[in-house]
Amino acid sequence: MHLVIISGAARPKPKSNTAKIIEAFKSGFEEKGNTSEVWYLSDRKQWERAAKAFSENDNILIALPLYVENIPGILLEFLSDIPPKTSGKTRLSFIVQGGFPEGSQSRCCEKYLETLPEKLGCRYGGTLIKGDMFGLGLLDEKNRQKLLKPFTEMGRYFSEKRYFEKSVSDEFAAPEYMPEKQIKKFNRFGQKIQRLFMGSIAKKLGCKGKLDAKPYDFRRKL
Amino acid sequence: MSLLIVNTLPGDDPEALNAIDILSRDSEECKVINAYEMNIRPCIGCNNCWLKTPGICSLKDGYEEILKGYLKYDETVFISGTALDFVDHRMKNVIDRVLPLATMYTTIVDGQFRHIPRYDKKFRFGLLYSGRADRKYLNEWFDRVMINFMGESLGAFPIEEAKEMSLCI
Repeated sequence: MHLVIISGAARPKPKSNTAKIIEAFKSGFEEKGNTSEVWYLSDRKQWERAAKAFSENDNILIALPLYVENIPGILLEFLSDIPPKTSGKTRLSFIVQGGFPEGSQSRCCEKYLETLPEKLGCRYGGTLIKGDMFGLGLLDEKNRQKLLKPFTEMGRYFSEKRYFEKSVSDEFAAPEYMPEKQIKKFNRFGQKIQRLFMGSIAKKLGCKGKLDAKPYDFRRKL
Repeated sequence: MSLLIVNTLPGDDPEALNAIDILSRDSEECKVINAYEMNIRPCIGCNNCWLKTPGICSLKDGYEEILKGYLKYDETVFISGTALDFVDHRMKNVIDRVLPLATMYTTIVDGQFRHIPRYDKKFRFGLLYSGRADRKYLNEWFDRVMINFMGESLGAFPIEEAKEMSLCI
């Protein structure tokens, strides 16, 4: 099986969490002789060849970061210009990764993705959802690999199934909501830890102001 | 009541001009930003607006004027084209760029994580769309967008129902 993978992330590949997830997924998918090709929409020079690959192949996977409850504008632009397929043979599947930990955060997007393949003349091949991916690029290699390992396993799974079964992807997306115990823990300690952690990252990035600064608070200036 | 209209259709689009006329009639103050001509770029997910230059977007394409408008005006209505039964990419790019309104910090509301708003303002945004779209889904999506920004959706209406939108303002 040959799989065309399209990254719908706008962030350039070297800094893209979606690209890291694609690499992990691909390594599992190719273990038993499958092949794949990856196109990155962050590089507009690849768009023409990505569109060609979309039209000429029947197994397509789009990986994307969740952007304001749906697909990023850059991916929407790409897909809007693609002529719908007519063969009826193409299966289109998705991987959605987000920053918040709960699977429920991506359900609004998933609902749209369930209807999107039909608009492009394709069949729906399921959506794999995973949250808590914000820190992927900030972690050390060991912890990053820990987060990516499940995607390699899903690559293996996909190489056999060729689509994401709803029950499997729901299990993968867990937790759907944070357990009450963890919510209490976050409210008690998490916010303070978060402020320290974010503050240290911001400092490393050269941030000079407060992270909750209000640069356009015109009412305060009146 | 003051109103910001962010028009992502061409500035001379007759439907958009008609909708702007209807919406602005009852507003004490109304500002129109023609974003189509600005060609707002997609959010590149650099996180600078959260971690490096808090509240300020690193892309310099005029979006700053829209960000300031969200804060200055009581309500905002977007006018959008459609694609694949959803808003088109121009509108999605505009809405994807709202991140500087939130902080990196999170809290839990109704059992779900949310970003803590940067400003002490409850945003009230509405959507008028021109073209074929799934109205029910657009309303669901827009509700979610506003919930995540601790704001309130005025609803998503086809552009020919601009009068109905004006009643929500």
